[in-house]
Amino acid sequence: MLANLATLALNGLAWGLIVALIALGLSIIFGLLDVINVAHGDLFMVGGVLAWTAVETTGSFAAALVVVPLLGMALGLATERFAIRPILRNPALTIVSTFGLSLILQEAVRATFGPAPRRLMAPLPGTLPVFGTNYEIYRLAAAVAAALALAAFFLFQQRTRFGTWMRAVRHDRETALTLGIPVARVQLLTFALGAALALLGGVIAAPITTVDFRAGVEILPACFMAVVIGGLGNLPGTAAAAVLLAVTEGVVSGLSDPTAARITSLCLMSAVLLLRPQGLFAGAAR
Amino acid sequence: MSVVPVLELIDVSRRFGGLRAVDGVTLSLGRGISAIIGPNGAGKTTLFNLISGLLPPSAGRIQLHGQDITHLKAHARARLGMARTLQIKSVFPALSVYENVWIAARQRYRPLDPFGLWRRDRATAAEAEAALEEVGLTGCADMAAGSLSYGDVARLEIAMALAQRPSLLLLDEPVCGMSPAETEQAVALIRRIGERTDVVIIEHDMEVVFGLAERIVVLAQGRVLADGPPAAIAADPAVQEAYLGQGEDEEEAVHG
Repeated sequence: MLANLATLALNGLAWGLIVALIALGLSIIFGLLDVINVAHGDLFMVGGVLAWTAVETTGSFAAALVVVPLLGMALGLATERFAIRPILRNPALTIVSTFGLSLILQEAVRATFGPAPRRLMAPLPGTLPVFGTNYEIYRLAAAVAAALALAAFFLFQQRTRFGTWMRAVRHDRETALTLGIPVARVQLLTFALGAALALLGGVIAAPITTVDFRAGVEILPACFMAVVIGGLGNLPGTAAAAVLLAVTEGVVSGLSDPTAARITSLCLMSAVLLLRPQGLFAGAAR
Repeated sequence: MSVVPVLELIDVSRRFGGLRAVDGVTLSLGRGISAIIGPNGAGKTTLFNLISGLLPPSAGRIQLHGQDITHLKAHARARLGMARTLQIKSVFPALSVYENVWIAARQRYRPLDPFGLWRRDRATAAEAEAALEEVGLTGCADMAAGSLSYGDVARLEIAMALAQRPSLLLLDEPVCGMSPAETEQAVALIRRIGERTDVVIIEHDMEVVFGLAERIVVLAQGRVLADGPPAAIAADPAVQEAYLGQGEDEEEAVHG
C-alpha cells in the first residue's frame, strides 16, 4: 500500500513538473502580453506529435528533444507575429484568435497524423527499485528533465539581460517602453519561449502518455488551475501549484477514481479563489 | 542662429476632441536648465508628453538637436538621448534598486547579446553604480524599489534617467510631494546635473523654478504667454496676472 502510494506520488511529481512547464508558458504569455493563450495545450500536443514523428523518422529521441522545442520557438514566433500582434490592443479578441489556432492545430494534426492515439516507446527502458516497487526509469528521467528545464528558465529570468527585461515588461509596460526596452520584441520572444516550453513538455510527456490530437484539450485545465492556484504572474508559485495538484490528483485517483481526483483539485482551486485570490503562494516570491 | 537648439518645437498643437490642450506652441530651448511653468490646466503635462513622445502631436514639428523627432515613439527618443522622469513615479517596484538603474543604463547598449549574463556586463554595471552613487542610493542597491521612501523613489528615478547618459533630461514635477528637506536635496542634485546636461523641468513650485532655471517659459491655456530669464518673467505683468498673482487655489495646488 505504501509502495503503491509512493508510485502514485512519483507519477504525480513527474506529471506535475511537465504541467508546470506548460503552465509557466501560459503564465508568462499572460503576464507580458495580456493574452490568454487557449491554444497552449495544443502546442503541448503538437510537441508530442512532432516527437513521435521525429522518433519515427530519425529513430533518435535525443534529436526530438533538441529539434522540437526549436520548432516550437518558430511556431511561437509565427503565431505571435500573425495571430496575436495585429490584435494585441484588444486582449479579448486574442482569445478568439488563439481558440481558432487551437482548432487549426487539432484539425491539422488529425488530418496528417490521424485520429488514432499512438504510443511512443520509452527511450530509457527498464525499471529502478523505488520504495519496494519497480519504477520506470524514464518517468524519473522525465521528472528530472522537466525540473532542469524549469530551473534553467528561472535562472534565465533572474540572470540574463533578456530575463531582466522580461520581469520589467511584466511589471510595467509603459515604463519599460520609455526606458528603451524593446517591449514588442520582448513580447515576441516571450511568446516564442512559452511555445517552446509547451512543445518541450510535449516531447518529455510523449513516452509517458499517448500521443493524441486531443491531448491539448485534456491538459489545458490543469495548467490553468496551476496558474490560478500559484497566483497570476507568480512563476515559482505556478510551478509549485502544478506539482501539488498533480501529486494530489495522482494520489486521490489511485485511492478512489480520477473523477474524485478532479473534484479535489477543483475544490482546492475554489478554496484558493475564495480565501487567497492572489494565489496560494502570494507574497512568497516576486 | 549658428547654434542648433537643444529642443525646438514648431507650431505644435494637441487637441483632445474639441479641447486645444496645447495650441500652436513654438519654442526653442538652449543649453542649461530651462523650466516650463503655468497654472493648472495650462497644458504643461500634455506638452511634456508631446516632447517625450508619449503622445503624438495633432500638428507641428519637434526637433532634438536639429533632428526631426515628431513621429518617433518614446523609446526611440530615449535612444537619441532624451531621458525623463514622471510626475507619477515610475520605477519597477518588484525589481531591486540596482536592477532598475541597470535597465536604464542598459538601453544605451543595443541588445547584441540579450542572453548574456547581466552581471558580467561590466560597462552597464559601472554606469548603473555611478548613477546610484551620484544620487546617494548605493546603500540601497539590493532593496526592492517598492520598499523605498517617496523621496528615495524620486532619487532612484533621477538615477535611472542619469544612467541613460542623456543629452536632454526632462523632469516632470521632480519635487512634487516631497518634504522641504527632500526638496532641498533634489534641487541641489538637479543643479549639479544641470552643469553637464541640458535639463527641462516642468514644475509647479515657483521657488524651485526661480532658483534653478536660467530660462523660463510660461504656458497659459495651451499657449506660450512669456519666455525669458527668471527676472524678466517675474516682472512680466501678464505672467503675474495669469499665474503668480493667482489666488488660493493655486497655492493649495502647489503645497497640497
